[in-house]
Amino acid sequence: MDNQEFINKVIESVISGDDVEAEALAKQALENNMDPLAVINDGYVVGIKQVGDMFEVGELFLPELIQAAEAVKKSTTILNEAITGGANKDKGKVLIATVEGDIHDIGKAIVLSLLVANGFDVLDLGRDVPTLDIITKAEEFKADVIGTSALLTTTMVRQQDLEKALRNEGLRDKYKTIVGGAPVTVRWAEKIGADAYAENAGEGVNKIISLIGK
Amino acid sequence: MALAHMHASGMGGIRTAGDLVARMQFSQKMRLNEAKEYVAGKLKVSVDDLVDEVVMNELRQELDISTVYAGMGEMARGIESKFRIAKLLDMEINSVQRFLRKTNWQQ
Amino acid sequence: MVVTRMGDGSFITLSKDEVRRDIEEGVADAVKRGKIEPLGADEIDHLVDICCRPQKFVSVEKGKELILSYDSGSLKITRLGIPIGMPQIMQLYERAFAADSLELAYVHYSFKPIKSIVPEEQYAVAETSLVTTAPLLYGAMPNLPLYTKPDGPCDNAAELLPAGKIDQARQAQEEAVEYAIKDMVFVSSGMYEAGADGIDFDTTGAAGDAEFYATLKATEKLREKYPDMAIEIGMAGEFVLGFHGQLEYDGVRLAGLYPHKQVKLAEKAGASVFGAVVNTNSSRSFPWNLGRAITFCKACVEAADIPVHANVGMGVGAVPLVMTPPIDCVSRTSAAMAEVGKLDGL
Repeated sequence: MDNQEFINKVIESVISGDDVEAEALAKQALENNMDPLAVINDGYVVGIKQVGDMFEVGELFLPELIQAAEAVKKSTTILNEAITGGANKDKGKVLIATVEGDIHDIGKAIVLSLLVANGFDVLDLGRDVPTLDIITKAEEFKADVIGTSALLTTTMVRQQDLEKALRNEGLRDKYKTIVGGAPVTVRWAEKIGADAYAENAGEGVNKIISLIGK
Repeated sequence: MALAHMHASGMGGIRTAGDLVARMQFSQKMRLNEAKEYVAGKLKVSVDDLVDEVVMNELRQELDISTVYAGMGEMARGIESKFRIAKLLDMEINSVQRFLRKTNWQQ
Repeated sequence: MVVTRMGDGSFITLSKDEVRRDIEEGVADAVKRGKIEPLGADEIDHLVDICCRPQKFVSVEKGKELILSYDSGSLKITRLGIPIGMPQIMQLYERAFAADSLELAYVHYSFKPIKSIVPEEQYAVAETSLVTTAPLLYGAMPNLPLYTKPDGPCDNAAELLPAGKIDQARQAQEEAVEYAIKDMVFVSSGMYEAGADGIDFDTTGAAGDAEFYATLKATEKLREKYPDMAIEIGMAGEFVLGFHGQLEYDGVRLAGLYPHKQVKLAEKAGASVFGAVVNTNSSRSFPWNLGRAITFCKACVEAADIPVHANVGMGVGAVPLVMTPPIDCVSRTSAAMAEVGKLDGL
């Protein structure tokens, strides 16, 4: 099997959510003295990106997305351990929550799954979370990014409350903030002073990557 | 928003024949053009007349099936007009059937 | 230059060529996602014309008018803080707003909370049916998450799935479906017995494929129980979110279905009217959203054997995602849905 054939098998194992095969390929890569970083980037990362694209257009669904994420997580853990000098640098810490008064958490569950699939350390506070609890937990977790979701026009104002509370506590510059949810727009994000807005879960991950990269 | 749509694309409700066409969609699953033609046939007017306030207001008064004006003489309204509409469109209307049951009325 | 808007309502200025480009890109996005036919060149020209007219308000050509139905109609007045009762609100719709049909709804717009106040709601339906002439529906949302923890008895799939507990998440959704079907049939039966012409299952599928499944099954049971009942199934978005992923209805996997396929299952279950929904992308322009929404809706209309009413309101059907949707966009979409989309209603 040549390199490209091997990488294709890695990608296929991710898309099919086959964690057993994905792990076996990770071990095989190390036995064959392949560059673990290249296998991660060309195989597992490409696979999970394809999964994200298929999810975006409705060709693959949340359970499959989660199975794929699990396969990537297990396999890259094996490969990362072999990377000299601890090259496995954390992508960053993200705290996410649905704001107080809002019990909608399906969209947030998708964001959470995609963030984990992309290697972020994520703390999910759940739904109906008071603003001050979000700040307290962000401090404890040492979050890089705080992401909030609101599905209602009546609850999106809590995202504004968070921005104000962070400013009042002198913590605003410590975190990047990102907002999302059905009634939320880029116009709203700009108005309340959030750092970013995401139209959907996939865009959320990309925006968080660029926020942390700043 | 209701007013914007009414002006932009709506048939006009009881100002015209919108309620009658809607009835054929909801109760008989008729598509738009089929429902318009059915109602126009029953009212003996053209399909274009169905959205003409002048024609339809006069016709609704003649048929006594309610108009938007509350003070139009002895005009039937509400459940009264629905009794007439059920006959006119040759269909059963649920609230009319309930009225008949509750009053023990034999048609 | 053409003054139009972004999907978040902000004004933008585009050249006519840019308007056309955005419409074509919106059409292409719908074609790619839904695997449906694109609009024809004459239809795209028509949309360009609708977008580029200088008038603030655009309306349909005479003779192309369609039927209007109203999700949660009575709540729109309640939200304005005008303290009048439901029958009076419905009279306002009928006599002042020229509504073709009426929809009565409780402020907590979900079947679960309504089941405990069915007698009160039946009273409102019965009263309204005496004083109004137009078809009267009762509307509510299936709202499957209300049956999951902490708001209901079933485990919460939104917590189980990210934890990798896929089988448990699926089982929890299947349990919630049974509760939802029971409530939808119970409440709908009550409203029909009180004199409503029918029921509107609004925002169906907001919680994914399990919620759509529950609605189809409830529709099936109601159709069997009341052969003449009007049943409208209105969707929550353009595609069915695969939150369960394996549920099928009539041998068709529900996850990932777009409007032209959703409507066939709604028909099979016994719906009278199907409410197609296309979400507005607030980061794209109004022309882009219009091209996309019309492409999806037209494909749905062509596939359907029952009337299709497109959802055209805040954040759906190309209307910008703002609390007070601008008339210039609402009227353009309204006209385009009738003239190009060939919808049976909105």
